[in-house]
Amino acid sequence: MKNHRRIALIAITGLQLSAAGLLAQNSGQPDITELLRRIEELEQKVKIQDRKTELEKEAGVEKAKTAPSVSLGSGGLQVRSGDSNFVFRLRGNVQADGRFTVNDPDGAVNDTFLLRRVRPSFEGTLWGNYDFRIMPDFAGSSVTLMDAYADLRFSPYFSVLVGKTKSPFGLERLVSQTRLLFVERGLPTHVAPNRDVGVQIRGSLLDGQLDYAVGVLNGTPDNGSGVSDLDDDKEFAARLFAHPFKHAETKALRGLGIGIAGTYGDKNGSAPANYITVNQQMFFSFNPGVLNCGTHWRLGPQAYFYCGPLGLLAEYTVSSQELSAPGAGTREIQNTAWQAAVSYVLTGEDASYRGVTPAKNFDLSNGTWGAWEIAARYGELDIDNAAFPVYANPAASATKARSAGLGLNWYLNRNVKAVVNYNWTGFNGAVTNPARVAAKDEHAVFTRVQLNF
Amino acid sequence: MKTRNPFAQFFGRLLSVAALALVLNAPGKNIQLLNVSYDPTREFYVEFNAAFANQWKSKTGDTVTVQQSHGGSGKQARSVIDGLPGDIVTLALAYDVDMIAARGKSLPPDWQKRLPHNSAPYTSTIVFLVRKGNPKGIKDWDDLVKPGVAIIPANPKTSGAARWTYLAAWGYVLKSGGDDARAKDFVAKFYKNVPVLDTGARGATTTFVQRGIGDVLVGWENEAFLALKEYGADKFEIVVPSTSILAEPPVTVVDRVAKRKGTETVAKAYLEYLYSDEGQEIAGRHFYRPRSEQIAARYSHQFTKVSLFTIDDLFGGWQKAHQTHFADGGTFDQIQRQ
Repeated sequence: MKNHRRIALIAITGLQLSAAGLLAQNSGQPDITELLRRIEELEQKVKIQDRKTELEKEAGVEKAKTAPSVSLGSGGLQVRSGDSNFVFRLRGNVQADGRFTVNDPDGAVNDTFLLRRVRPSFEGTLWGNYDFRIMPDFAGSSVTLMDAYADLRFSPYFSVLVGKTKSPFGLERLVSQTRLLFVERGLPTHVAPNRDVGVQIRGSLLDGQLDYAVGVLNGTPDNGSGVSDLDDDKEFAARLFAHPFKHAETKALRGLGIGIAGTYGDKNGSAPANYITVNQQMFFSFNPGVLNCGTHWRLGPQAYFYCGPLGLLAEYTVSSQELSAPGAGTREIQNTAWQAAVSYVLTGEDASYRGVTPAKNFDLSNGTWGAWEIAARYGELDIDNAAFPVYANPAASATKARSAGLGLNWYLNRNVKAVVNYNWTGFNGAVTNPARVAAKDEHAVFTRVQLNF
Repeated sequence: MKTRNPFAQFFGRLLSVAALALVLNAPGKNIQLLNVSYDPTREFYVEFNAAFANQWKSKTGDTVTVQQSHGGSGKQARSVIDGLPGDIVTLALAYDVDMIAARGKSLPPDWQKRLPHNSAPYTSTIVFLVRKGNPKGIKDWDDLVKPGVAIIPANPKTSGAARWTYLAAWGYVLKSGGDDARAKDFVAKFYKNVPVLDTGARGATTTFVQRGIGDVLVGWENEAFLALKEYGADKFEIVVPSTSILAEPPVTVVDRVAKRKGTETVAKAYLEYLYSDEGQEIAGRHFYRPRSEQIAARYSHQFTKVSLFTIDDLFGGWQKAHQTHFADGGTFDQIQRQ
């Protein structure tokens, strides 16, 4: 543009010189009107060139809008088509734990460093409304496919998810593993289903005040994940979760969520799950030969409340299954678990079901410390008394686990979190074998450094 | 189903209370619409959207926010076909909506029958905006093709206004007794006098009004009035030619998008409100010619009487006009190559 102006100036100067020449040659009156006309003509030419350049730039900007974009940030690596209809994201998380049992002088439970989760996640969107996710886990001795699904989002009210993902049931189970309040989930999760393969229909109604999900799934044992189906029977799962005051004028009420979930199905010939403590040690096991032989249903009322830095979460789960034992008849065994957790963000950020985002990242040079959160919880898992002694050995398995935990979470930024937990578990029952976990109270300190992007 | 624990009963009751609270507390919904429109309707739809949102709120309690997207009409149609999620399109010409119906499969082919007046709730025409004093003495179409006159229209490949302009110029020759050959020659001369082709009508206005390029802006009547209002009648004046074209900018719901977003009812009501007295008043205030005879009479003072022909009269409708003039290799391309 500057070049055009320079050319115009030169041209105008040239005109002036030629005008002076004309004046000198004719020694008469200069043709001022002609001169002005020619100047105006030149000025128009310069303006036209400027405008054309401007339009070319605008066209360039428009073209750039339709060009694919690649971005890298706290949400991972993202490639997006110009029209945003096609998106690919590479995300992932690594959880490196240290786990130390306090009152374990004979070393029955190993103190250990552990890679709890190593999960890259390949996610994306096709044609604007069709999402997919493939998430393996490289922690442990073999690679496990955690999530692999397609989510066909036909409308905000109705989407169809096909593949493997979390069963729509447990409140704490449905929290992403990167946003957990404690290193390990609480006791109700141990009687709830984990991931399962099947079809789920989901949606959000009443302007986001009511979420629903219903599914037909292969069916899993408590706390279990499934890939292959062990029988022809299927499990039906459903969950309703409401935010009744989401749009209320009283801000304090907006963070209330309350819901209920259930599963119902038959299982035949498969072994029921044993139960573990929050510290991941088995405190209850069914006797050898005990098998599912009928209906398995679960019911899970659940609620949370978040108001500013304060968070409360509670859930209750009943898991009832018909079991058979060698030489004995069929019996319904009904195990229950519940927990209540409270958290408070010391640095003042809002607590939420989906975790805490620090207002200021940890940065020593600026004297900022990220977000700090304290948490406490108590829960119980109660084994049906009818399970003893035919279905479980009272000398080896506890009838109830009671667990309390304290936690400190340090969110250095959106992607890095450090956690330390203290967990206590006490047991009811008549376990006499000192080698058994349930023979004495369990005290453990868990630490975690988590990176997710 | 038996539950032995009192917690289940407690949570059950809590859930009932929450469900009741949800029903009692249910406030109006927040609804978002996207209106994909052509260039010079910005100001009109800002006022109309606010009026509709008020009306809808008082009628249903729901809050409607209408987002606007503007650009050359053809370009906007392509964006919708490529996935721009407009609940509604309010474009410059029916052909662009036909393209969305045909290529995007987003609405039925007979979409024009869904609302009165072929789904065009207001009309406009093509006029000239010249600099104050009309230094080039432009009075009618013939004056535009004289040597030394710089005309600023938009590009018919991307702009609805530009297509109406092109056809208005062509139609002028036919109406004056000429044939297609003469019309083509006339339109060729017209575009020889064009120094810059903008992609949309608003861009052409910027070129003429703000950048000071050219002797005459040829485009929408409402856009010319808007330039006068915004930049002053002491700088520009409107010249209405003896003959022009009746431009009928159509509106419709993009069914596929509205269904997906659950906005069909409100999108339909939005378009119907354009035909209401309030909608027609707003159109008149923004220099569109209202369809309502009663409202049109109220605004008749601002529009000069002009002999108007329709696209059906002279060109056999938009599909035929497009194939002949604006499709690749059509007369516009032939003229541009000369």
